[in-house]
Amino acid sequence: MSDLVTAAPQDTTTATYVFAVSRTVDPSVLAGLPGMEEGAPVHVLPCGRLTAVVQAVTAAHFTEEAWQARLSDPAELERCARAHHAVVSAAATCGPTVPLPLATLYRGDSRVRQAMADEADRFTSVLDRIAGHVEWGVKVYAAPAPSGPEPDVAGADTAVKGAGLAYLNRKRGLQQRRHHRHEEALRAAEAVDAELREFAAASRRLRPHGQEASGRRRVQVLNAAYLVAEGSAAELTELTGLLEARTGAEIEISGPWVPYSFVGGA
Amino acid sequence: MTTRQPVPWDNPEPLTGPIGVPLVDLLDRVMATGVVISGDLIIAIADVPLIRLSLHALLSSVSERVPAPWADGGPL
Repeated sequence: MSDLVTAAPQDTTTATYVFAVSRTVDPSVLAGLPGMEEGAPVHVLPCGRLTAVVQAVTAAHFTEEAWQARLSDPAELERCARAHHAVVSAAATCGPTVPLPLATLYRGDSRVRQAMADEADRFTSVLDRIAGHVEWGVKVYAAPAPSGPEPDVAGADTAVKGAGLAYLNRKRGLQQRRHHRHEEALRAAEAVDAELREFAAASRRLRPHGQEASGRRRVQVLNAAYLVAEGSAAELTELTGLLEARTGAEIEISGPWVPYSFVGGA
Repeated sequence: MTTRQPVPWDNPEPLTGPIGVPLVDLLDRVMATGVVISGDLIIAIADVPLIRLSLHALLSSVSERVPAPWADGGPL
């Protein structure tokens, strides 16, 4: 037992990790959630007219260096992102909730209360703005390129008297078609975004994902988030279905999300 | 493929179930946004704006695996 007591006494300092801010959160929805690390439970911290959803964590595990390492480790990054999201999502079942970014930490509960008091008006206005709304993600992909080899526009006889020229022509044709498809896809993305903006209370363009993240060999031309009224999933699905048919682009939707993308600014 | 209908993720209670949420979409959200409180309040243990430093580290370290999910005009 004695070595337990003497082991690294400085490591027992705790910090307060903040997941989200709401007006009220039923503590029972947080029961059993692991949060950022094993040990202390995820719990509610009343802060005046607001409630923060927090967890006491070992300060030494959440230093800048620890975060650098954590964020560079794909598995650990995923665990943290999902743990954070699980708490945010659970809190949001009780009413409008402002998610805080991953890695929001304070030195202790009193620092959290202070920050919440300082920012109470902004939190309140954001909570009002997102009440009754959820976020949907919409991603648009360029229509897939026609499969099989490109048609040989140059013709067979040119192989004899101008193979080089034919090659260049073929190359040029290929490039033009690719360029054309890309232009079409960007137009489709704009059309989809314009229609969805009409439908949504607010919208935000995110940076499109590269091919490795989006999977398969397809080009993402729109990555956007829309704040829409709760319960309008069927309408949104129908609308994106129509847009897909009309534009020929591939559309993926995800949601409903807690309105992560609409709590910034004021 | 062109007739495939867009479908939301298949989850009976999506708001409570993080399982199945695509990681790249999740990172778009938990990392880039939610900046309601200003950067100097999102502090590290040592009162430095940890989040920004960390995000820069993240951007460079995982960009091959998760190519730039951050908006050009985003809060960063």
